[in-house]
Amino acid sequence: MDIQIPEIGKSFARPDAAAKVTGAEKYAVDYYGDHLLWAGVRRAEVAHGRIRNLDTSAAARLPGVMAVLTGRDVPGANRQGIVHKDQPVLATDKVRYSGDAVALVLAENRETLKQAIDLIEVDIETLPGVFTVDEALKPDAPVLHEEHPGGNVLLKAEIKAGKGESALKDCHILIEETFDVPMQAHAFLETENGIAWQEADGRVVLIASTQAPFRDKWEISHALGLGMDRMRVISPYLGGAFGGKDGATVQCFLVLAALHAGGRPVKMWWNREENFAAGYKRHAAHMRYRLGANSDGTLQALHCRLYYNTGAYAHLGGEVMALGMEHAGGPYRIPHTLIEGWCVYTNNPIAGAMRGFGVAQVSFAIEQMMDLLAAKLNINPLALRKKNALRRGDQNTSGVTMTQSTGIGDCLAALAENPLWLKRNDWKQAAGPFKKRGVGVSAVFNAMGYGRGLPDSAIAKIELTEGGRIRVYNGVTDMGQGNATAFVQIAGQILCQENTRIELVQPDTDRTLPSGSSSAGRTTYTYGNALIKASESLRRKIIGRAALMLLADTLDHLELLPGRVRDLQSGREIPLEMIGSMMAAEDRICISQFLMPVVRDKLDTGKGFIIGFPHLIFSYAAHLACIEVDELTGAVEVKNYAAATEAGRVLNPQTFTQQVQGAIAQGIGYALYEEIKMEQGRLLTPDFTTYHIPGAMDVPEISSQIVETWEPSGPYGMKGVGEVGSNGPLPAIANALADACGIRLTCSPLKQERVLEALSQSRREGGS
Amino acid sequence: MRQVRLPQTLADLWSLLNKDPTALIFSGGTDLFVKMRADKVAASTMIGLERLAALRDIREDNGDIRIGACATHENILRHPLIAAHLPVLVQALRTLGSPPIRTMGTIGGNICTASPAGDTLPPLYVLRAEVEIASSKGSRSVPIPDFIAGPGQIRLAAGEIVTGVRVKKPAEFNLHHFEKVGQRKSMSCAVAGMAALLRVTPSGAIEACRLAWGSVGPTVMTDAGIENFLTGKILSPDTLSAAARQVTRMVMPIDDVRATADYRRTVSGNLLLRLSGMENPTIELKRQSPSEGM
Repeated sequence: MDIQIPEIGKSFARPDAAAKVTGAEKYAVDYYGDHLLWAGVRRAEVAHGRIRNLDTSAAARLPGVMAVLTGRDVPGANRQGIVHKDQPVLATDKVRYSGDAVALVLAENRETLKQAIDLIEVDIETLPGVFTVDEALKPDAPVLHEEHPGGNVLLKAEIKAGKGESALKDCHILIEETFDVPMQAHAFLETENGIAWQEADGRVVLIASTQAPFRDKWEISHALGLGMDRMRVISPYLGGAFGGKDGATVQCFLVLAALHAGGRPVKMWWNREENFAAGYKRHAAHMRYRLGANSDGTLQALHCRLYYNTGAYAHLGGEVMALGMEHAGGPYRIPHTLIEGWCVYTNNPIAGAMRGFGVAQVSFAIEQMMDLLAAKLNINPLALRKKNALRRGDQNTSGVTMTQSTGIGDCLAALAENPLWLKRNDWKQAAGPFKKRGVGVSAVFNAMGYGRGLPDSAIAKIELTEGGRIRVYNGVTDMGQGNATAFVQIAGQILCQENTRIELVQPDTDRTLPSGSSSAGRTTYTYGNALIKASESLRRKIIGRAALMLLADTLDHLELLPGRVRDLQSGREIPLEMIGSMMAAEDRICISQFLMPVVRDKLDTGKGFIIGFPHLIFSYAAHLACIEVDELTGAVEVKNYAAATEAGRVLNPQTFTQQVQGAIAQGIGYALYEEIKMEQGRLLTPDFTTYHIPGAMDVPEISSQIVETWEPSGPYGMKGVGEVGSNGPLPAIANALADACGIRLTCSPLKQERVLEALSQSRREGGS
Repeated sequence: MRQVRLPQTLADLWSLLNKDPTALIFSGGTDLFVKMRADKVAASTMIGLERLAALRDIREDNGDIRIGACATHENILRHPLIAAHLPVLVQALRTLGSPPIRTMGTIGGNICTASPAGDTLPPLYVLRAEVEIASSKGSRSVPIPDFIAGPGQIRLAAGEIVTGVRVKKPAEFNLHHFEKVGQRKSMSCAVAGMAALLRVTPSGAIEACRLAWGSVGPTVMTDAGIENFLTGKILSPDTLSAAARQVTRMVMPIDDVRATADYRRTVSGNLLLRLSGMENPTIELKRQSPSEGM
């Protein structure tokens, strides 16, 4: 590692990079233990049914089986969930999707575990299921949660601004279209896993691959009736998550198992098939749009009906839909809106958080609506977007005043000057035989933070160790996005210390402090703000304590320098090692909390949302895709891609660009290949043989342009950049497809078979 | 517990096979390991062929090209003999799996797995490959269409192994073409694929042609009628379109999670259209005399 004093705004190598590439870094999955037990669950394998009988006796008798637990053995509420607690840890009466767990087995090894799970006999009376939104909303539809007052509707909400949909009738131009997007899998490398054991004093320690160790404690405590002081949750670096580890996966199973393991460590590790069967997914959505504009292209009114298929349990479904609704009108000024949303239970795997949380879906719709409008008005699609782009001071489509940095206009302006845009016609002309080329754009945004109603808070803790080193107690998981890197930069910048002197402690509920989940583009923003305050306190403190040893009667001439404090007048210095060893333990620590600001507008809408509406701060991006369509196979190849991204000031150009590139690669998968296919709640794409994510050859060179603004509330002016890039590729590629061959696909993914069918249909209808 | 045996010589192999004729034979293992993970392999003894140097050889033999069954896809891809004479096979191998799969997987394995989607199979069919088979009692060879009986089905008796594959240098053809339609560019099982060998005159007349389609029937599909239809005609979009219509009637695809039968049928025909505009063959002909082909 190069020795350097980290600086804000300069690329800085991840402190975890060397350990990760050499395999030394321990992820949750790398933890084993002496006398290890393995835990696993028997899943229902039935999409909807009533449990008539559960016979675990044969499994329990199998040699090597330590325990077989059922819902009756769950000491607490046996309910998990972040907002709505509707998901059993172990189902006792009903099963609502095929991945519902009915029994938990602890065994000496994985082979015995598998045998025991197969020996559990569960007799389920099959009930008719609902799998699509249409089926679930029928008046006589089977109901998943009988106790839920809304029936199969988890949440119905609306956002209204201006005159609402009634303004559509006054518009010169009206565009109407319906869009559908499928479920997407996170496809992270490290599948759901963890290890737990009970200490001699009865406390349970859980090391898990989780985005939210502190909230896990609350969830486990509620579900298992275990005091929050009776457990400790540790979250090492994650091998990917993208939202899929924001909530209960293995946590309750493992803590329950640990309570029955006699102090032995218990490991649970879902394989890829279990990850597909029981892991969270991005919501499939059905979206009906009506967009009205003046004949000069000024947007006037929008009416949307959005249906999110949330699967068997609430998880974060309502909140995902809320964010989708908040972004349904795109980063534009539309004075009159009515956005209606239905979040609907079905007997499918659970849909929940995923990068671009509800927003990736609506971006597909609104950004194609914009191109449809541009085509109708014969306006350049980039110019139409620029004309309507939100500026600071505008009201967005929820009626929220844009008081913070609002850089979508700058992103669009940057794209307009990109050579890929300027030379697009020449490039399109050069297509070879049986190839058609097209260039498409999209303008996207993504809110940051939890939104109103849920404090978006972080508590930073930083220490001058006894040995004179700087230790940052990071309370918010680094799932690969590099927030921990930013924290080293912040501490290094403020304390003027070399990277080799700065240590990181990853989230641990015993050592670090509650700082929320690693999600919502808020990790670096919220914790970073707290850390700036804590680091500045520590700097003042170190100088103040150094004064005692330097016999300085004023702090004015003391400067904290790498490894030492120097009296600039006398030239005397004292090393940090000496200061650290002089200070008392409680004196060496600084703690500071930060709370994200919220919207101050008084809104008379969105009352259906329990939490998470509206949002104050957004990041923005304009994307451009150059694609080539093969007329013989329908295959779409992304040949070039450009993104102009605005997320305030950039702390680390390297990690910023990695976020942009990763989001686009994942977005290309969402655009072209990825689709969870199901039949009656049974997965037809249960693994990576059938569920295709893009490979290196499917992702082109990505030109990522940083468009900086200043976000006054951000740490050094920054905003979160992790999610916004996910929202652009699907609509940009769909628009490029229309540009290339005049076909507009409203159903994603834009897979070759669909494209070929649309091409031949367009020929039949008298096209080329 | 499973036993894995790795014989060093053919003699060792025959003696192992005599002791346990039900032993499962594998080479690179890239298909087998997937099945093992899914608990679909019952055999208690497995015999790996990777240490048998005699089976890895790629060489010229009496003017033919002989590829040992255990030659890996990567070995074949990089071999000058193959590059010079069998571009159609090279093109197909470039689309097979990924670098790790190509480094482990072997041509013998691809043949014996007998997947309708096996990437080397359409080229081997148009090359009229002979599969060499041996046992402790002797050896024989059969044309590849007679060896592969159906999806995953091969005509190999107990105690026999595939030792290699032999092709004649396709000197009479000056246009080699292979195209695979997958769901992405690598690590993708073919949805449809086509291998073609043609002899085309500078004026575009097709003097000879062999065609084979993968993933659109229980085994690789060929059709002498379509080949005859094209022979003697000009390589033009009209000719190819007419042949493509025959292809869509000839193939026997199925619906599965990757693609519908309709799509496979349409694309099988469309792949033929790709040949239009290829009158000026791409193959390097420097090893051929002017009388051969051009």
